[in-house]
Amino acid sequence: MNFFSTNIILVENTLIVILLALSIQIPLRLGVFSFAAIGYYAIGAYSSAILMLEFGWGSWEAMFVATVFATVVAYLLGLVLARLTGLYLGMATIAFDLILVVIVLNGGSLTGGPVGIFGVLGSIELWHLAAAVIIVLALLTLTERGKLARRFDAVREDPQLASSMGIDVVSYRRLSFLISGALGGLAGAFAINLRTTISPESIGFGLVVLGLTVIIVGGQASWVGAVIGACIFVWLPKLLDFVGDWEEIIYGMVVVLAAIFIPGGIVGLFLEAKHRRQSKRNRSVVEQVSALLAGEDEHESRSAAVNEGAISDR
Amino acid sequence: MTGKTQAVLEVNNIAVHYGGIKAVNGISFSLEPGRISGILGPNGSGKTTLLGALTRMVSLTSGSLVFLGQDYSKVPARKILSLGIARTFQTVRVLPDRTVLDNILLGTDALSSSRAGNVKENVRQAIERTGLEGFEQVRPGELSYGVQRRVEIARAIAAQPSLLLLDEPTAGMNQHERQEIGTLLRKLSEEGLTQLLIEHDVQMMLDTCDKLFAMNFGVLIAEGTPESVVQSIAVQESYLGKRAQQNA
Repeated sequence: MNFFSTNIILVENTLIVILLALSIQIPLRLGVFSFAAIGYYAIGAYSSAILMLEFGWGSWEAMFVATVFATVVAYLLGLVLARLTGLYLGMATIAFDLILVVIVLNGGSLTGGPVGIFGVLGSIELWHLAAAVIIVLALLTLTERGKLARRFDAVREDPQLASSMGIDVVSYRRLSFLISGALGGLAGAFAINLRTTISPESIGFGLVVLGLTVIIVGGQASWVGAVIGACIFVWLPKLLDFVGDWEEIIYGMVVVLAAIFIPGGIVGLFLEAKHRRQSKRNRSVVEQVSALLAGEDEHESRSAAVNEGAISDR
Repeated sequence: MTGKTQAVLEVNNIAVHYGGIKAVNGISFSLEPGRISGILGPNGSGKTTLLGALTRMVSLTSGSLVFLGQDYSKVPARKILSLGIARTFQTVRVLPDRTVLDNILLGTDALSSSRAGNVKENVRQAIERTGLEGFEQVRPGELSYGVQRRVEIARAIAAQPSLLLLDEPTAGMNQHERQEIGTLLRKLSEEGLTQLLIEHDVQMMLDTCDKLFAMNFGVLIAEGTPESVVQSIAVQESYLGKRAQQNA
């Protein structure tokens, strides 16, 4: 209990980063290379703060409207960027994040300019955030099973194949923007309620890097990767306290080593080990049936070749 | 079996132009139910573009496509399967991290329940027909190219199509596998499935198809029984030209 109360800020941060990382992960699972999650986070946080401070709204109403607003913006962004893919889409969404920073910097008293907004005292508590994260994870589990998981994989791996299988690739990509907007907006709205403050510095490029490293190290195949990555990168600075100035270097090395040696992230490692075990089990079946399908021919060809004298005696 | 039956597919004077390049230029033909037709032609003759047009992956410049009496010239590619047209690709297209069973199920995932029917039974039959029993929990990457081809065919027939379009179904296979695929396609044909093949293997076309179309420069240059098409001078000059000259 003592550990929990002394580390409550880190627990809050972990849960918020999980939501933010999921907001980046969902588009990636559908082959959409988008970093706009940081922008949705900013919209969720600033909208909630403005509605609560300027209009006197309660935390929950402000959070709901801010999340819906971030979702609508995400959908519209998805329509505007519909024709972009890969790096071009990545660059366009980073530009979207940076444009939002410029807007809040120049938003005058409404956004607090470079200083940001302080003193947003809401009624939201940590257990509300924890409950929201659990619900989100439960819902995302559904996308990792059965039909929906296969469709996600097909849209990401081979859009043309997905289309020929009757899957509406464009709709799934738009859906990824919608879900990403909702999760990012929700993360931002929770963050402002629990941290009471937001500034342009806290929604800058550093947050894009954090979100991406969480997914790279944790893994993009499953929400489990986002949870593992968030735990690592929120708690790593605390665990590396003793190394002093070397902390940033170790942080960077972890990311580089993960990108080189475990491209599928930690979740990818587990999946690969599982697949390897399964392959081992399947090997004898594969060999037997393959021999039935093709081996007979090789035998026949060899016999024929021997008969024709094509293979000399050895 | 009556003499006159409704064509499964009617291709009416279709053209696909890319700027000044006429990849397909005024092709018309029809496919009779339950028969296997093949399209033969040298590289660059427009076969794959034609298949792209039939599956609506490639937009038509002109002409129309009619499937079981319904014009589908403007139907988006993703709705083709629900109409009853399934396809395989020139290179094997499977989900590498999913099992064979998952890959086959993918063929039925987006179908309406009335169209998909008894999915479990259809998938079981598709696996049985393609000889993939035992491979259900294996990932395609662990299988030979020929077996991966079977996975593609199983995925296509699990959707219970009325027309199956196959783009070089025996590419990369050994002689035995080619014969097996040919036998499988004949069996499917006997069960009433109409098929259109694009293939380079002339012997396989002769052994498998009921009717052949030959293409060159985006137009049909011959059609008829496989033997008559292969022996036609126009086809020999375009597709088998060098060998014909050498033999002469």
